[in-house]
Amino acid sequence: MVKINYKKCGYCGACVGVCEQLAINLIEHIIEIDTEKCNNCNMCVIVCPLNALEGE
Amino acid sequence: MMRELNDIYDVVVVGAGPGGCMASYASAKNGAKTLLIEKSQEIGEPVRCAEAIPSIEEFGIEPKPEFVRNIIKGGILFSPSGKKVIVTQDKAQGYVVERKIFDKYLAIRAAKAGSKVVVKTTAIGLEKDGDYWNVIVEFLGEEYCIKTKIVIAADGVESNIAEYAGLKAKKKPLEVCSCAEYEMANVRLLDKNMMEFYFGNEISPGGYVWIFPKGDTANVGLGVRDRKKKAIDYLEDFIENGMAKDRLKEATPIEFKVGGAPVSGPIEKTYTDGVLVVGDAAGQISPLTGGGIYLAMDCGLIAGEVASKAIKMNDWSEKILKEYEDRWKEKHYEYLMNHLKYRKILEKMSDDELDALAEALGESLDGVDLKKFVKRIITKKPSLLKYFKDLL
Ligand SMILES: Cc1cc2nc3c(=O)[nH]c(=O)nc-3n(C[C@H](O)[C@H](O)[C@H](O)COP(=O)(O)OP(=O)(O)OC[C@H]3O[C@@H](n4cnc5c(N)ncnc54)[C@H](O)[C@@H]3O)c2cc1C
Ligand code: SF4
Ligand code: SF4
Repeated sequence: MVKINYKKCGYCGACVGVCEQLAINLIEHIIEIDTEKCNNCNMCVIVCPLNALEGE
Repeated sequence: MMRELNDIYDVVVVGAGPGGCMASYASAKNGAKTLLIEKSQEIGEPVRCAEAIPSIEEFGIEPKPEFVRNIIKGGILFSPSGKKVIVTQDKAQGYVVERKIFDKYLAIRAAKAGSKVVVKTTAIGLEKDGDYWNVIVEFLGEEYCIKTKIVIAADGVESNIAEYAGLKAKKKPLEVCSCAEYEMANVRLLDKNMMEFYFGNEISPGGYVWIFPKGDTANVGLGVRDRKKKAIDYLEDFIENGMAKDRLKEATPIEFKVGGAPVSGPIEKTYTDGVLVVGDAAGQISPLTGGGIYLAMDCGLIAGEVASKAIKMNDWSEKILKEYEDRWKEKHYEYLMNHLKYRKILEKMSDDELDALAEALGESLDGVDLKKFVKRIITKKPSLLKYFKDLL
């Protein structure tokens, strides 16, 4: 499971834009990852400008 | 609840960025019953942009002092070793705006044209309901279902709405420029009306560094496409050690911005039954510069016009809505695909080759069309020709 570091997140939505599983939602300032949908492809980890996401 | 959520619409636009605001403006102005949905509680916030736009006068929008922070006469491009090339033509001219005020201004303009607007309301799904779409939204923890004939997906880089409708809009991670930016006071500018661009594989692989003068401040940021190091780390490095470090010594941040710019070129298909996709979600953003405000506005305008026309004709099937894609492609497809080609050439070049390119181009790009460009390469740096020969 991708780990989110909320203290590092800049709520920009770039991770949402690359998640083909539609597992990520950005609700105002908080991103949420649906663990049922996430397949651990780590695409979101690559695109994050702030290193707020950590893959397995 | 907001009474706007308890109604049926001709057109629902998701996302109140430049694309969505222009789409709902055009749709409402042409008589369609329109709702614009924005998930932030404040339109324009958070800002994910360097805020430079070319002329907006062609949209009938006056460059008002309430959102225009600076007039731009052109750009100075720096090669990795510091060779300067100046551009002052066409799209290099324009304004640096305060995006949060600009976007809000565009939303008010849409409202004045008759569109309803809701904020702090997130679209979380789409369901087909006969000839209609049900847009499922969330507002203050409650779910609502809004019935509409047409949905315009203008949700920016996130691109969820088009996907809910079965279109392919998600981007590949290395086709999204990962950006970090400080808006700073006390930047010593070279020229307060010239944008600065810095290129190089060491300082910003797959993108560039920008310093855009914004009146009392400047946007200092960069975009990268890279697996190894994060945009924020590149940015701290540039401010500390980059070519402009002496001019950034006293600079101090007053705002922090991050974002992703989808530089993949347009998505495969931007319409389906009762759905149109505009702006970043559709990939209508220059793959070379990451400039997308103007394109989102223009394509949004076309989408709003086509949607309202479909409502008048009482047929919003994809056969009718295809006119949107035909029209925006006619106007912008070649530009987008050319920029994609140029980007792919530049990203193959080493820092030495970028220096050689700047050398060959000379001091100014003004008046240099593609033919002249290649001619300069042939006469001055024939070793680079391998990159550019396919352009002829
Ligand atoms: C760092 C950076 C710098 C840039 N600099 C420039 C520049 O100088 N000049 C330029 O022209 N372009 C620039 N761009 C690109 C530009 O910001 C975009 O191309 C432009 O904002 C696209 O407009 P849009 O309307 O498509 O989307 P956006 O402006 O992103 O608007 C989308 C809106 O939809 C809302 N939304 C998303 N999902 C939902 C949902 N489910 N429900 C409700 N609302 C939703 C969002 O909150 C947002 O307000 C830059 C981009 C970045 C990342
Ligand atoms: S790892 Fe892949 S599937 Fe999971 S949230 Fe990230 S992009 Fe989506
Ligand atoms: S890309 Fe990174 S900073 Fe941006 S919303 Fe996702 S986790 Fe947060």
